[in-house]
Amino acid sequence: MNTTCHTPTCCAPSATSGVTESLRKPLYNVHGGTDAYEVRVELPGVPKNGVKLDFDDNILTVRGERNISVPEGMRTLHRELSPLSYLLRLRLNAPVEEEKLVAKLEDGVLTIALPLKQAAKPRQIAIQ
Amino acid sequence: MKLIRTNPSALARVSGFDEWFRHPFAGLPSLGHFFNNLSEVFPGVTGDRLAVDVHEDKDAFHASFEVPGVKKEDVKIELNEGMLTVSAEKREKNGDNESSLRLSRSVSVSDGVNAEAISARLEDGVLRVTLPKAEHRKPRSIALN
Repeated sequence: MNTTCHTPTCCAPSATSGVTESLRKPLYNVHGGTDAYEVRVELPGVPKNGVKLDFDDNILTVRGERNISVPEGMRTLHRELSPLSYLLRLRLNAPVEEEKLVAKLEDGVLTIALPLKQAAKPRQIAIQ
Repeated sequence: MKLIRTNPSALARVSGFDEWFRHPFAGLPSLGHFFNNLSEVFPGVTGDRLAVDVHEDKDAFHASFEVPGVKKEDVKIELNEGMLTVSAEKREKNGDNESSLRLSRSVSVSDGVNAEAISARLEDGVLRVTLPKAEHRKPRSIALN
């Protein structure tokens, strides 16, 4: 998956830009190792081409467009799933190797691997 | 006097950043972060119930369940005495630790369903179960003589 930058309103929404689109925050978790972080975002109902990933100025933006519109001729009997698309913005205050960011979408879960820059890794200091 | 209207909740949802603080020694995100999220684990759904949508067309009922992160082999679908039950086991692996979470949901199904012809597919974390209507329950037009 490519990291692409999309609409500037998404990257920098402000009170004056008149954000009318309703979005919701997906469930996610973050796991950290010494070499990399892994962010897992739940995006059920979002196909691969509906995911947009952007990393800019240490802000990771994940957008997932859901397409769960009711097909024509169908009547809704019961509704619990939200039709809203997802938006998650995470500010990463760890230096990440931007070029080595890897993402995959599997079973409605987006997994993003964020390798840390060498200098950010903890290092052992020998006692003289 | 000027009135300034704000909608903090809507604004927070769009522009609110989630910070993830890194402890300089532990190298792990703060725990508080995970606790903040607990209340959102299943929005609108209590306990371990799966959220479901049910639609109907002239040929079938269509039930959609959200099961992100669940593999095909970890889903069980049963129809028993008019109740359609979907059980899913969500497994997550973090290094050496493996956790699993059981989720299920039962939906009452009308007796006009052709149990033999029920089908299901799992796509992008959504399980779609199609329950075809039995012949006698389909709308039919009656010709006038």
